Amino acid sequence: MKSRDTLGYSFSAIRLRKLRSGLTTLGIVIGIAAIVALLSFTQGFQVTMTTQFQEGFATDTLVVSAGGMFDRFSGEEPSDFALYVNDTAAVMEIDGVDLATPIISGMGSLDSEDSHLDLSVSGVNYTEYSTLYGTTFVAEQGEIPAVPANDSVVIGSSVYDPWGNGTIFADIGDELVLTITIRDNGATHENNITVTVVGILGEIGGTSFGGGPSDSGVYITLGTAVDLFESEEVSSVVVQLVSDDEATIDQVTLDIEALFDNEASVLSSTSVLEMMDTMLGTIELLLAGIAGISLLVAGIGIMNIMIVSLMERTREIGILKALGAKGRTVLGIFLSEALLIGLIGGVIGIVAGSLLANVFSGIFGGFAGGMGGVGAGAGSQLTSMFTTITPVLTPELMFWAIFYGVVVSVVFGLYPAYRASKLDPVDALRKE
Amino acid sequence: MNTDTILEVQDLKKTYQLGSVPVHALRGVTFQVNAGDFVSILGPSGSGKSTLLNMIGALDRPSEGDLSIRGTGISTLNDNELADLRQRVGFVFQFFNLISRLDAVGNVELPLTIAGVPSKERRARAEKMLGKVGLGDRMHHKPSQLSGGERQRVAVARALVTDPSFLLMDEPTGNLDSVTASEIMDLVDRVNQEFGMTIIVVTHDPAVSNRARRKIRLVDGHIESDEVNHN
Repeated sequence: MKSRDTLGYSFSAIRLRKLRSGLTTLGIVIGIAAIVALLSFTQGFQVTMTTQFQEGFATDTLVVSAGGMFDRFSGEEPSDFALYVNDTAAVMEIDGVDLATPIISGMGSLDSEDSHLDLSVSGVNYTEYSTLYGTTFVAEQGEIPAVPANDSVVIGSSVYDPWGNGTIFADIGDELVLTITIRDNGATHENNITVTVVGILGEIGGTSFGGGPSDSGVYITLGTAVDLFESEEVSSVVVQLVSDDEATIDQVTLDIEALFDNEASVLSSTSVLEMMDTMLGTIELLLAGIAGISLLVAGIGIMNIMIVSLMERTREIGILKALGAKGRTVLGIFLSEALLIGLIGGVIGIVAGSLLANVFSGIFGGFAGGMGGVGAGAGSQLTSMFTTITPVLTPELMFWAIFYGVVVSVVFGLYPAYRASKLDPVDALRKE
Repeated sequence: MNTDTILEVQDLKKTYQLGSVPVHALRGVTFQVNAGDFVSILGPSGSGKSTLLNMIGALDRPSEGDLSIRGTGISTLNDNELADLRQRVGFVFQFFNLISRLDAVGNVELPLTIAGVPSKERRARAEKMLGKVGLGDRMHHKPSQLSGGERQRVAVARALVTDPSFLLMDEPTGNLDSVTASEIMDLVDRVNQEFGMTIIVVTHDPAVSNRARRKIRLVDGHIESDEVNHN
């Protein structure tokens, strides 16, 4: 029997039992849809994260910090090592370094006459910082002064308009009270300073990985930050390299690590991206595993239905054999049925999965949007990030989805098909 | 062996094991069927008719002795070779055994499909054969839309379409009323006389066996009589 005829014959058998075939296929559809939805959503998430990350962290910059941004998850003992403002000078001496600028940051609060915001406060050198982040640390209103007064403050767009409804928290020239709480051996005290808004940044979107400017940021001068935080300890030193080739990145990374006796963490955007990829890869694997279980259940469903079908069609198998069909022809017919179920289930599953992924991103966007309105900074960032997640359905993902659908169906169809092929024609024909 | 011998049965024995009791279904059967013959095999139930039929149809192998179809002995063939040999046997069953989801022409095409005949050719052959059995206008009817007699005609067309060595019929009228049965046997007569097709029919119905030119009577697994029909 020719393969095309085998497929045609099997298809007619599937069509005959529409409801049963439909329900069997549904199992595969659900499994494949789950895989496609979860993976295309995760891949979309990854693309969004990567793009936004790259916007905020140029490839030719390094971020030096006392503890790596991911070290807090490693469970290791925190070390006493700290970076200070004057360490920047030593970094500047290293070959391949174009510019190094310190950032002091911590949590604080801003009070206007009638509102209060808790947010992250950064002390930066305005000139150097705007050189490093030429596209994002740009004032949309006011200016970023080259020689700032001690009470200058530059605010991000979501500090300017925290509720996203045009109710302005602070405008150019407004005076705000900036409060920092200092914790010292269990005791706490507050330092206040009245600052004047000199610049408001344009909307940046995305996240501020690697010390870059963010919409929810509040930027004061370095000197003021040292006074307010009562420390010259910096959270990070951002290093601009002369080039973004791998050799320079690696060499400068090694030199900086050596400078601080391997206690400092040096991150390049490439290394962070690799780390993110690994993390997301693990998540993807986990999600695919969960979806895989539903595919396994679908496979068992196929096996069950095919065994029932085999019993019902024993006589048909007998007729086929009496008409000269070999065991392998019967095997082919039953395997084709499983194959077609897998194929049809796979295709419908991909369509359903991509619809589902779009629904996911809609729900997440809406959810984060609802969260983002109040509480300023962080929420708004989430909103902008989730609403921009577009599920990514690559041809590879589609191929593997169909492939797994077919493999699961065929593998689970193998045993019933084998049994059918081994039926004795005399016994099979005798069956009522 | 006569050059015209289509079927040669030589001391055929078949023993089944029913639990620990051996059942001797055939105890040494010998006969030949020549090209163009119309042979009926008769016998009461338990005489070994069905067992003999299964072996003539290359569905089963003998315990001892041999049965050859156009010189090919079945006792040493493996499953695949037996299946190939079955493509040279035109089987007609008592219960028609049509595939319910296929239409008449689809059912007649089926043995050709199994044999790997290209679709255009098999469609043409199936349509021609359906015309010959008088079902030219019922080709696209499903078995459920056909009468018993029509179904059996489809079964005859399906058996003949491969141009088999002989037509093997198992109680072909067992499921039909006497008028329809007579029509089917008329068709069988015509197939035998006009096409020169060899017919072997297994039956316990005298109306059927009387049509044959030779009657082989089986009793308790051996041939009781093998005579020319003088009717």
